[in-house]
Amino acid sequence: MSDLLDQSPEIEPLREQRLGPLFWICVGWLSLNVLGAIFANVLPLVNPLYQNYNAINAGPSLHHLFGTDDLGRDILSRVVFGSRVSLAVGSGAMLIGFGIGMPLGMLAAYRRGRLDTILTAVMYVLLAFPAIIAVIAVISFWTPRTLFKIIVVIGLASVPLVYRVIRSATLAVATKDYVTAAKVQGSTDRRILFRELLPNIAPIAVSFLLIGVATVVTLEGALAFLGLSVNPPTPSWGNMINESRTVMAQNPWLVIFPSLALCLFLLCLNFIGDRLRSYFDVTEVKL
Amino acid sequence: MSDERRPLLKVRDLTVTFGKGAHAVSAVAGVSFDIYEGETLGLVGESGCGKSTTGKALMKILTPSSGTVELDGVDITHQRGRALRHARTRMQMIFQDPISSLNPRRRVRGIVAEPLDAWKTVTGEQRDRLVDELLNQVGIDPEVYGDRYARQFSGGQCQRISIARALAMRPQFLICDEVVSALDVSVQAQILNLLEDLKAEYGLTLLFIAHDLAVVKNISDRVAVMYLGRIGEIGPSEVLYEAPAHPYTKFLLGAALEADPESATTGAVLEGEPPSPLDPPSGCRFRSRCPYATERCAIEEPVLTEVAPGHQVACHFPFIAQ
Amino acid sequence: MSERLLEVTDLRTTFRTVTGSVPAVGGVSFDLKANETLGIVGESGSGKTVLARTIMGLQPRTNVEVTGSVLLNGHQVVGASERTMRTMWATEVAMVFQDPMTSLNPVMRIGRQIDETLRVRLGMDRRAAHDRALELLTMVGIPSAQSRYRAYPTELSGGMRQRVVIATALACSPKLLIADEPTTGLDVTIQAQILNLLDSLKQQLSMSVILITHDLGVVATRASRIIVMYAGRIVEMGDTRDIFYHHRMPYTRALLESSPKVTNTPHTRLAVIPGRPPNLSTPHPGCPFAPRCAYATERCHVEAPTLVAASAPGHRFACWNPLTETDHPEAR
Ligand SMILES: Nc1ncnc2c1ncn2[C@@H]1O[C@H](COP(=O)(O)OP(=O)(O)OP(=O)(O)O)[C@@H](O)[C@H]1O
Ligand SMILES: Nc1ncnc2c1ncn2[C@@H]1O[C@H](COP(=O)(O)OP(=O)(O)OP(=O)(O)O)[C@@H](O)[C@H]1O
Ligand code: SF4
Ligand code: SF4
Ligand SMILES: [Mg+2]
Ligand SMILES: [Mg+2]
Repeated sequence: MSDLLDQSPEIEPLREQRLGPLFWICVGWLSLNVLGAIFANVLPLVNPLYQNYNAINAGPSLHHLFGTDDLGRDILSRVVFGSRVSLAVGSGAMLIGFGIGMPLGMLAAYRRGRLDTILTAVMYVLLAFPAIIAVIAVISFWTPRTLFKIIVVIGLASVPLVYRVIRSATLAVATKDYVTAAKVQGSTDRRILFRELLPNIAPIAVSFLLIGVATVVTLEGALAFLGLSVNPPTPSWGNMINESRTVMAQNPWLVIFPSLALCLFLLCLNFIGDRLRSYFDVTEVKL
Repeated sequence: MSDERRPLLKVRDLTVTFGKGAHAVSAVAGVSFDIYEGETLGLVGESGCGKSTTGKALMKILTPSSGTVELDGVDITHQRGRALRHARTRMQMIFQDPISSLNPRRRVRGIVAEPLDAWKTVTGEQRDRLVDELLNQVGIDPEVYGDRYARQFSGGQCQRISIARALAMRPQFLICDEVVSALDVSVQAQILNLLEDLKAEYGLTLLFIAHDLAVVKNISDRVAVMYLGRIGEIGPSEVLYEAPAHPYTKFLLGAALEADPESATTGAVLEGEPPSPLDPPSGCRFRSRCPYATERCAIEEPVLTEVAPGHQVACHFPFIAQ
Repeated sequence: MSERLLEVTDLRTTFRTVTGSVPAVGGVSFDLKANETLGIVGESGSGKTVLARTIMGLQPRTNVEVTGSVLLNGHQVVGASERTMRTMWATEVAMVFQDPMTSLNPVMRIGRQIDETLRVRLGMDRRAAHDRALELLTMVGIPSAQSRYRAYPTELSGGMRQRVVIATALACSPKLLIADEPTTGLDVTIQAQILNLLDSLKQQLSMSVILITHDLGVVATRASRIIVMYAGRIVEMGDTRDIFYHHRMPYTRALLESSPKVTNTPHTRLAVIPGRPPNLSTPHPGCPFAPRCAYATERCHVEAPTLVAASAPGHRFACWNPLTETDHPEAR
């Protein structure tokens, strides 16, 4: 059987695709944000609610690195504490969205049939509602507003979107021959879902997750801007920007720093999401 | 000769319909045949005539809308759940596209071991040894390639890995759906020889689906010709290629290109294209392109009839050698 | 005017990629007479498509280096600007691609696509173009051309689409038609129809055809001369009968022997070529076929053979240890 041996000597290793330094800078910045939010209490920061009447609308100084606001509160401290709300809303809502949307989407796409028809119909009806208006309506009537309620409402609103993305990603994979081959070998549905499907949709899911977090953080900002997020004086990036509207002329720092934090955060998330998607895209690597 | 052999697979009136109502397409419309133990049956026909659909219905990847499939005397048409999963391991299928048949995110050893892990028939060291043995058999060095990802392989190598995976559960029956169509001639010959070797070693029975008539002739004991969801002719390869009895078979063979400058090119060319399966012609499905069609062909549907031992034709006016 | 429609001399097309340079076409010379059909045969990756696109002057200008010369009806193609090429495309040379879907605009009616070429290139008016387009569609054997004129490409079958592509290519009566695997992916019966069509059009319009394929059967009865390519080089070329019956190069023979034949008895063991074609981005000094060749000697691994003349006129091969006439069991 010697003539049957595939004697092709070389298989080149895959082209080393690198994530690049910018990716790691972004990861670093995000980690800093997350760590700051978690350990805000133990960091050497002024109490974000403490009003220092001796320094009102002060510019950046050694004492107050980012300056103070119109009530004499330390902006740096408020930005760091504010990130807690933004991060909690972003990750919490996406946890709910993916926790519900992802299994449903995968199951519907893999099983097809009536389950898929019904679920997809329901999701499309939900998608037809303008989600933002629905969220605004629910939040404004469901008082008192708490962080938890905001997370739940946004999370539930994101389920149809997650469902749609995951379902179509799964569909693309589920029609591949290797899934059929696994079925034919007698693999159970659970094995197929976890071994064949999940690894192949994970990259899309992760990048969508990151972009989803970014979207939700923006949404929280927008809600805060309408005065519909957590109640002041608890800081969030959104309500800080909102409050600064009136004093923008006297104290531009008040709007610059939270906006900068928000922008950098979103930029990093989007960039990481994009990079990861192309990094994991096997099809981009030519055989 | 065929009478003594035992049919491993008995297919009766297999019908597969896609869609409903006005859009219903009978991709396979009442197909019956036997596959004897240890033989290779070739299945040829033009694109869209229902070859893959037949193969998938045998494996129950698609649910037939009617008809029965018997494996070793057991009707598997209505099996479900574990019984079906079990029946499937006795039959295996290899697909046309070598690249999409393998999960790009799994390593070669994992892919080949998947059926073993799913069934837990062998575990631990025994399993590892079996996997390496399978890879060796298909000509992939497990030491060098075993831990590579599937996406790092060429088409021919992917097809070898698919074959190793299909053999892991030691099936009796193997369906090869256009397994060499995407490969270069030189690699194609390697895979065809490999299949012949493994067939002998494992005592496999093969259903070999392809549109390349030369490839089918080289590997099959018997050949079935499909047209628009029906079998037009079935018989021993040499008989069928030497003296085709169905007009369609004759045209098909006439259009096959020989790698020989002196081969005749004057063979009449079949005009037109297959009609849409949405709206097949009445009576004989080949009627719209058949130069021998008569009124009877439009009214009466020809059924498979034996014209010689083991040679069946579905035509009212078959060519029968005197 | 010279009798040679196309003269290709030492043509090299090298891609610069992240993993190194890829000499997809590595020094190819041949010529083509008027009203001749030349077959180019080779396995996947042997550089057939790249060669065809280079002759068409279709290679992108970045990351590709093209050297040598392509004289098309007296005009130099290598280094010609896109504007110069535009004057040659359609009227001098046209191409039929493997996948008809990629060369037809999916959102434009097929008649319009042919019209467009006629009006832009030949300056025909709307009526004349319309009539000529209908004529072309009829010529390539599209039934009820009048109604198909308004069809979109997706409404046609693969075979019909390929006919439309051929009609588009022939719109301005080119002197050379390059058909890159025009029947790959089509059914045998449709393939026979298309090949017959190309043959009769060639006679009718007295043009030259380069027929590219990986299937020796396609060129066996259609081409008068054949070029066998391997790893971007010509390894053997000559009259069709010489290539089939008196080949001297082991690869040509291996290619012929490894293809299954309709006349074989069932379970005929096929001759196989071990391994697979070389990776072009790793340079190899010797004969590109050496790692797979049963006749290889030491010399083959270090020194590349060049094309040398065989006994028959125009028959050339590149091999250090050529097969002799007695090696041909089928020699007639
Ligand atoms: N999932 C499906 N839904 C609807 N129609 C289908 C489906 N799968 C196949 N068909 C139709 O069934 C017919 C037979 O298809 P099948 O894939 O079995 O053909 P085939 O003989 O394998 O052709 P090929 O040589 O192109 O692989 C075709 O007309 C096709 O369009
Ligand atoms: N744009 C490109 N960049 C880098 N390499 C390329 C490019 N285009 C083609 N190649 C390489 O050039 C070689 C020849 O390719 P080509 O497409 O000409 O082969 P072919 O003979 O037409 O094969 P096939 O039968 O598969 O169409 C291949 O190894 C291919 O990888
Ligand atoms: S039954 Fe009639 S139409 Fe059908 S193949 Fe025979 S002669 Fe032709
Ligand atoms: S030169 Fe050597 S390696 Fe190349 S084909 Fe001839 S004998 Fe074989
Ligand atoms: Mg098929
Ligand atoms: Mg090509």
